[in-house]
Amino acid sequence: MRIQLLLAPLLLAAAACHSRDVASAAGPDGGTLVISTPGEPSIAVPLFATTVSDMELGSTIFERLAEPGPDLNTIGDRGYTPALADKWTWGPDSLSIAFHIDPRAHWQDGAPVTARDVRFTFEAYRDPASGSIVTPLLTGIDSVSVRDPATAVFWFHRRYPQQFFDASYQMYVLPAHLLSGMQHADIRTSSFARHPIGSGPFRFSRWIAGTLVEVVADTARQRGRPRLNRIIWSVAPDYVASVTRLLAGDADFLEYLRPEAIAALRKHPEIKRLHYPSLSQGYLVFNLRDPDHAGRPNPIFGDRGVRRALTMAVDRRRLVANVFDSLGAVAIGPEVRAQSTADTTIPMLPFDPAHARALLDSLGWRDSNGDGVREKDGVPMRFTLMAPTASAIRIRTTVLLQQMFAKVGAKAELQQLEFNLFQQREQQRKFDAAINSMTFDPSPATIRQVWGSEAARDPSGANIGSYENPAFDALLDSAVNQFDPARSKALYRRAYATLIADAPAIWLYEPVNTVGVNQRVHPVGMRADGWWVNLAEWYIPADERIARDRVGLASLSP
Amino acid sequence: MRHYLARRALQAVVIVFLVATLSFLLLHLAPGDPFTTLQNPNITETVRQRWRAAYGLDRPLPEQYLRYLGTVARGQLGYSYSLHEPVLNALATALPNTLVLMAAALAASFALGILLGLVQARHRGSALDHGIGTLSLFFYSMPDFWLAIMMLLAFAYWLPIFPVTGMFDPVMHAMYGFWGRMADRAWHLVLPATTLTLLSAAFIARYQRAAVLDVLQDDFVRTARAKGVGERAILVRHVLRNALLPVITLLGLALPALLGGAVFVEKIFAWPGMGYLTVRAIATRDYPLVTAAMIVGAVLVAAGNLLADVLYAVVDPRLRAT
Repeated sequence: MRIQLLLAPLLLAAAACHSRDVASAAGPDGGTLVISTPGEPSIAVPLFATTVSDMELGSTIFERLAEPGPDLNTIGDRGYTPALADKWTWGPDSLSIAFHIDPRAHWQDGAPVTARDVRFTFEAYRDPASGSIVTPLLTGIDSVSVRDPATAVFWFHRRYPQQFFDASYQMYVLPAHLLSGMQHADIRTSSFARHPIGSGPFRFSRWIAGTLVEVVADTARQRGRPRLNRIIWSVAPDYVASVTRLLAGDADFLEYLRPEAIAALRKHPEIKRLHYPSLSQGYLVFNLRDPDHAGRPNPIFGDRGVRRALTMAVDRRRLVANVFDSLGAVAIGPEVRAQSTADTTIPMLPFDPAHARALLDSLGWRDSNGDGVREKDGVPMRFTLMAPTASAIRIRTTVLLQQMFAKVGAKAELQQLEFNLFQQREQQRKFDAAINSMTFDPSPATIRQVWGSEAARDPSGANIGSYENPAFDALLDSAVNQFDPARSKALYRRAYATLIADAPAIWLYEPVNTVGVNQRVHPVGMRADGWWVNLAEWYIPADERIARDRVGLASLSP
Repeated sequence: MRHYLARRALQAVVIVFLVATLSFLLLHLAPGDPFTTLQNPNITETVRQRWRAAYGLDRPLPEQYLRYLGTVARGQLGYSYSLHEPVLNALATALPNTLVLMAAALAASFALGILLGLVQARHRGSALDHGIGTLSLFFYSMPDFWLAIMMLLAFAYWLPIFPVTGMFDPVMHAMYGFWGRMADRAWHLVLPATTLTLLSAAFIARYQRAAVLDVLQDDFVRTARAKGVGERAILVRHVLRNALLPVITLLGLALPALLGGAVFVEKIFAWPGMGYLTVRAIATRDYPLVTAAMIVGAVLVAAGNLLADVLYAVVDPRLRAT
């Protein structure tokens, strides 16, 4: 029992004297979800979202036209369920999709949602001045027209498998009647950005900088109210404090459990651990170019055989178990398990130090002076292995890798850098090897930005290792443009296998996304692209509610 | 005195200007910028360039500096990239929270430090003196972030007396009446303020003890004793006032020390003040916000020193005469 309750009589008496209306909240819907979050959202409009916190908040207030199923299919519209659009039809030539807006959809100020809103949204997202990270992903869409107030038609430049995904998934529909009077870029600095009006299941309630953001159930919503009364993102930037809040009952939900928190959680049966699929992975990326002379191949990693040998020196199972305990899985390749094209049967290069040593010997890398480090033509097999200090996981990974490489005669010198410096070195490609972490979106085509030749030649591209292979590019092009899901998956499989064989990276781990939830909260449908996507369906049974669940829908603004 | 204060105020302005300039330059010369920290394959360099252009970060550094000076001269401090609001708004929210925390910690640490110093000096060489001295040294040598975490675990988790974090209960606070809200805020203030207090009171006590022992050797104390004045009266009426002079000097030093400590304490206790704002601004390379935080820090330090000078004059009549 919390001794904090010493003060409770005073507080409760004060509350009792106060005239605010407190609903009994004993019905099927109700309850307050307090989320302990290390990062405060910076903006509530998804158009400008750049962080996970931004997306969490924005997606409770705004809606997409349709939502993908749990398999995150991106080809055609299989598995998609209606959201703001209640139905859609494809044009006869498949160059257009007409979305019919649900006639019950209204903005939270009472105005109906119309096709004009959809057109406005597309124009805002497409406008380079908006600075939205989604803008480059919409190049396949030519325009959006208004057929009638309830029908918005997306027109595409050409047929491609991800047409529906691009039109429905990437954008959250914005209210044109409130925003069309201003420049798209100015929405970012307008009061709307922090006090938005959406059409989603929750309406914005209050934002206390550095402290909390709150949304409450839109009970006037004709398409059904959410089951919770309110959600509060309560900011706790320190991780220990965040976990303590969950354990102490001050918060109901912690979105990211680190391995070191697991032991403490075992003593708290009232906290349940839930896993959901991850779109993230960590890998060691080799720089295939000489960091000092970009025109030349890297004297060590330019050789495919060396990269393969070093990959075979790494015991990834042991590494993942050591770093993550039970909260990590060995990576399956350049893709992640949650993507629809994932294939866990593609053979990875095996852990085989003896074979690695033999391969290096055969390539001419030998330890001629007996110092434990191999050389070839006077070049020692010595390189820097870079990781950001901010990531304990990546730092631990480098230490284990260093030991594994040493066993085959390669000397990795660890370089721990401040995150910005780490990023700058990666972008300038001034590194030998680095531990990188990447979070993909559901589209498997994203891999082109990480490993495609075009991204290698673009000095600012995300292919920082400068890997180039025309065969891989060709396979990927075929896979991306294939409409048949089975054939597409088969082509992706060949592309992934090519990449794995070339070993431009050692794909190490996928974190197992684990959240901590108070047992009275019942989450529903946590998807890989966001645990929060079905927040409207989460519930707290009436007989498990506590004091903060019973405040009903009363305004909590001071 | 007025000329003296005016001179010190002018010095403070120069110091603040130098701090702002140095902060601006160091921040811009450091690797990375506000838009390199976002790691997402969908964020293309074109998008980053647009962001940089939107905030004028694509201009030459001297031009950016002059623009910044112009902004400051107009009484503004720029626009926060990470918070999407004017820096002044962010400061207006965070600064009062820090001042509340610091005022509570400052008052408590000086009261406690002076009291402990007096007790130690009164019982010099005793077990009590050694006990308090050891305890002071223990807290003095403790890293602020570690003490904050230990306080949080001890009094909010293992012995759940106080709330874990925040300035008030996010849900129930609004349901309380006026006094309930005051009590709720005070209850949330206890742990962060106590943490800062323990850290500062430790060194104040050590200074106070030395100062009191010093003054106890003076002739006027011997005279008072000869007149038959009681030890307690001698300590409180005669010694304390004279022994406060070096402690007042500490006030000027305590402000920056508290502000530095508040960075970690605010982060750990999720106290939405300048410390937390600064940490967040540095992590996101939010240039205008970091520079503004540095300026606020410099102003507080200058104000602390000015306050110490004024108090010096109040306590010591000889200074008023000059």
